[in-house]
Amino acid sequence: MSASIDIHHLTKRFGALTVLDDISLAIEDGEFVVFLGPSGCGKSTLLRMIAGLEAVNEGEIALGGRRIDTLPPGERGVAMVFQSYALYPHMTVRQNMAFGLENVGTPRDEIARRTDAAAKVLEIDHLLERKPQMLSGGQRQRVAIGRAIVKEPRAFLFDEPLSNLDAALRGRTRLELAQLHQRLGTTMIFVTHDQVEAMTLADRIVVMHDRRIEQIGTPMEIYQRPATKFVAGFVGAPAMSMLPLSGVTRGPLGARLEVAGVGHIDSAVTLPEGFATQGASIGIRAEDTRPDAGADTGADRGTGAGPDMNTGSNTGSGPNTGPGSLPLTVDVIERLGDRTLLHGHLPDGTVLVAQDTGRSQVAPGQVVPVGVDPHAVHVFDAAGRAHHAGEVR
Amino acid sequence: MAAPHRQSRPSNALFAAPYLVVFVALLVVPLCWGVYLSLQKADLFGLYGYTGWTNYARVLGDALFWQAVRNTVVFVAVTVPVLVAIGLFLGLALNARTRGAAFMRGVYFSSTVLSVTIVTLIWRFVFIPGDGLLSLAFEAMGWPPIGFLSTQGWSLFSVGVATVWWCLGLPMILILAALQQIPGDLYEAAALDNASRWRTFTRVTLPQIRNTLILVATIQIVMQFQLFGQAQLMTNGGPNGTSRPMVLYIYRAAFENWDVGQGAAASELLFLIILVAAMGQFWITNRGNKA
Amino acid sequence: MSGTAPTHGHSRTLFWAAAALSVLMFLPMAWVLVLSVTENEALSRGTEAAFSGPYTLKNYTDIAGNSGVFRWFANSLVVAVGQTIGVLILASLAGYAFGRLEWPGRRLVFVIVLFGLAVPEQAVIIPRHQIFSTLNLHNTYIALILPGLSLPFGVFLMTQFFRAIPPEIDEAAALDNASRWRIFWKVLLPLTLPAQATLGIFTFLFAWNDYWWPLISATDKDMYTLTVGIASSQVNFAQTEGLGFLAAQAVFAALPVLIVYIIFQKHVVTAVSGGAVK
Ligand SMILES: Nc1ncnc2c1ncn2[C@@H]1O[C@H](COP(=O)(O)OP(=O)(O)OP(=O)(O)O)[C@@H](O)[C@H]1O
Ligand SMILES: [Mg+2]
Repeated sequence: MSASIDIHHLTKRFGALTVLDDISLAIEDGEFVVFLGPSGCGKSTLLRMIAGLEAVNEGEIALGGRRIDTLPPGERGVAMVFQSYALYPHMTVRQNMAFGLENVGTPRDEIARRTDAAAKVLEIDHLLERKPQMLSGGQRQRVAIGRAIVKEPRAFLFDEPLSNLDAALRGRTRLELAQLHQRLGTTMIFVTHDQVEAMTLADRIVVMHDRRIEQIGTPMEIYQRPATKFVAGFVGAPAMSMLPLSGVTRGPLGARLEVAGVGHIDSAVTLPEGFATQGASIGIRAEDTRPDAGADTGADRGTGAGPDMNTGSNTGSGPNTGPGSLPLTVDVIERLGDRTLLHGHLPDGTVLVAQDTGRSQVAPGQVVPVGVDPHAVHVFDAAGRAHHAGEVR
Repeated sequence: MAAPHRQSRPSNALFAAPYLVVFVALLVVPLCWGVYLSLQKADLFGLYGYTGWTNYARVLGDALFWQAVRNTVVFVAVTVPVLVAIGLFLGLALNARTRGAAFMRGVYFSSTVLSVTIVTLIWRFVFIPGDGLLSLAFEAMGWPPIGFLSTQGWSLFSVGVATVWWCLGLPMILILAALQQIPGDLYEAAALDNASRWRTFTRVTLPQIRNTLILVATIQIVMQFQLFGQAQLMTNGGPNGTSRPMVLYIYRAAFENWDVGQGAAASELLFLIILVAAMGQFWITNRGNKA
Repeated sequence: MSGTAPTHGHSRTLFWAAAALSVLMFLPMAWVLVLSVTENEALSRGTEAAFSGPYTLKNYTDIAGNSGVFRWFANSLVVAVGQTIGVLILASLAGYAFGRLEWPGRRLVFVIVLFGLAVPEQAVIIPRHQIFSTLNLHNTYIALILPGLSLPFGVFLMTQFFRAIPPEIDEAAALDNASRWRIFWKVLLPLTLPAQATLGIFTFLFAWNDYWWPLISATDKDMYTLTVGIASSQVNFAQTEGLGFLAAQAVFAALPVLIVYIIFQKHVVTAVSGGAVK
């Protein structure tokens, strides 16, 4: 009974304020899609428009090929789990789950069957006669999911359902949601601003920002080939470092990217003819860097460092600051156990985060030459559009 | 077009319709009709045409009306400050989480739930000459008896006593509510600053409940201007109208003399006076706020 | 909490002063109570008899024999209960419409209704009296009940309560295919029960104690409410059936409200302080 969701040129305004501008999106039957974006970007609004809780100003929404944006919420065949769960406080768990079915005249035995089945799956069958006040946060969350399941909807909508749970429970529930999706195979849309949730759950992630969709793609695409500077900066922790691009010349693998006052980085990115460097920037993730802190730490490094790191691979003018490597003055050292993040700045003042091994010996104040994986360098033009290695956009 | 949940729909107003019908029929229409009536020559049996400001002129030219205005203003000017002061005193005294305080709150509020007839009956049993509790007390002390309900001056005073006794529950409760909203750490800070009890009261407590005191005063002004039942039942306005308030004047005009037009005109005048008094009081206290 | 720690700013001296002054609250009531159990004949010779007796319950049994007082009591009950039910129904529906639904003109209408809070009774009572005269409805329960339903206080209170319910609750219900009416009746109304209790008690007390309107509307002795009836008894104060009997009537009339008050003290206090006091 699952269905695809098609959104065509959707616009939403609250009075004079436009919160969603000409959004189009196709979600396939059975897909798990995550809406990811900073607070206030309109994720909830989009979800609520699909649910029928907000009016559509322009555009259409279709579920399973049938237009639904003119239908009242109850007739759309979707179920929603709210961040606050929104359980009916005066009804028992069983009544909470049965209410929606009673409203459409489902036979009693059928209601009982579905309720019991869902309660069993969610391991809340011993709580059926309790009221919500007598449940823990995690239990309430399960009831809210149960209330959605029994309706056997054509699509599930989740609005940050995990944000009220503590870290451990959130992790567990995340896993269970993934299992639930596998078992039911129903289309699911999940709103979050937590990128770990997005990466682990999604078949595809929809990154939203400033009234628009920035990028739609699989978690790997979003992470490794961010379509825009915004996506690149928003996804991934620590955030991608951005260096100002001052000039482009030809390098051995692709473009050689000049950073004024710092040096250059050889990349495998092919930039179009006449690429304007004005306002353009270079994006580098910490794990794609290779700080060379001295011989004693060099032996066991390996995280994220490709075989063709170009540290000092070119003719150098000095031992540590050869072209193609960046002289990073380390300010703060962040030890994460398995790896170490070096927060520092380059001669021009640009901030950069590099990643060293867990046993890094680097000390604050030290100047470390940092190499960069040429295939993992991203270039963003002045408009924020991205260029990656191995493609021309 | 779309029919989502939050959509504004005329049919939603149907839920408010039953109330609105009653509201319009029994509040809005009477309010407007009252203005209309005040411009008509009217009695119990009907309207005899537009008379312009005649009714108002008659009311304003009536010495009894001015006497009633004076009585009412004096009554309000005395009872309202007394009620606020007692409310503040009781609020401060009974703002404790003890059984004793809870019980006392219950006692002081209990009179508020009684009807005006019972309150006046109780106080007549206290004030009546010869048989009243006060009479017996005066007799026992060997003092000359006072006709509390029948002497000029004393009659309005007696009505005031009964009124304060009846009405002091509401100011107390509202002020208590405000006192309980004051964050405890303010007092802790004051104690750490070695503030004396009096300074704590004037510098912490009073400023914090200032708005509530203004609200209480406004409510009481509006309520006490409408003094009616106590005066009607205890003194019937006497002697010689010296305890007759404005509402009793209106009642006389409209429902005893059946001069409906004049009663309506007096009603509108009282409404105006109440509005001016309430707003004036509000304005003055708010101005003090900024100064 | 520890018994010794006083609430901040609370003074023991003030408390004992207030406790002592409560005698002034008690004394008049106690006086009436004593009079009510003193023999009428003894009182007619002088109220000093209240201190010496003889005491009797005859004044109360006389009430039982006086059909008028009972009739008034029943009238008051019908009016107070009728008005309470009416207010609860109208105010709940309107509170839902104002606090939860969107419709054209909602804000403006609500502001107008709020202005109604400021209208004093004397500004509307004369036209009201004429309306009911025209409809020939005086001396009926309808006339006694209806005007109380127009007061905006209940609508105001219920609107506040409906607003305080998280919007997700009825959004969830809308997704559960519940109609507007079912959302109101099955989901939201049960959540307003505390407010219903508060408003109900408040309305009951108000209706029971109302004086001016029943005074002019119920002119037939059989349609008096207890409040008006007691007033009519005390008009010819001295030459009534006797002070003791009058005092017994007062006690009899005060008892229902005092009982309601004592049972629901918490709700009454909440109602008047707008929910600020716990
Ligand atoms: N009912 C409303 N009236 C006016 N503006 C609104 C309303 N609801 C949302 N907005 C605005 O629309 C924008 C998008 O809100 P929305 O709740 O969809 O954000 P969100 O992406 O879900 O954020 P969060 O992650 O904080 O939940 C915000 O700027 C918000 O202020
Ligand atoms: Mg949101």
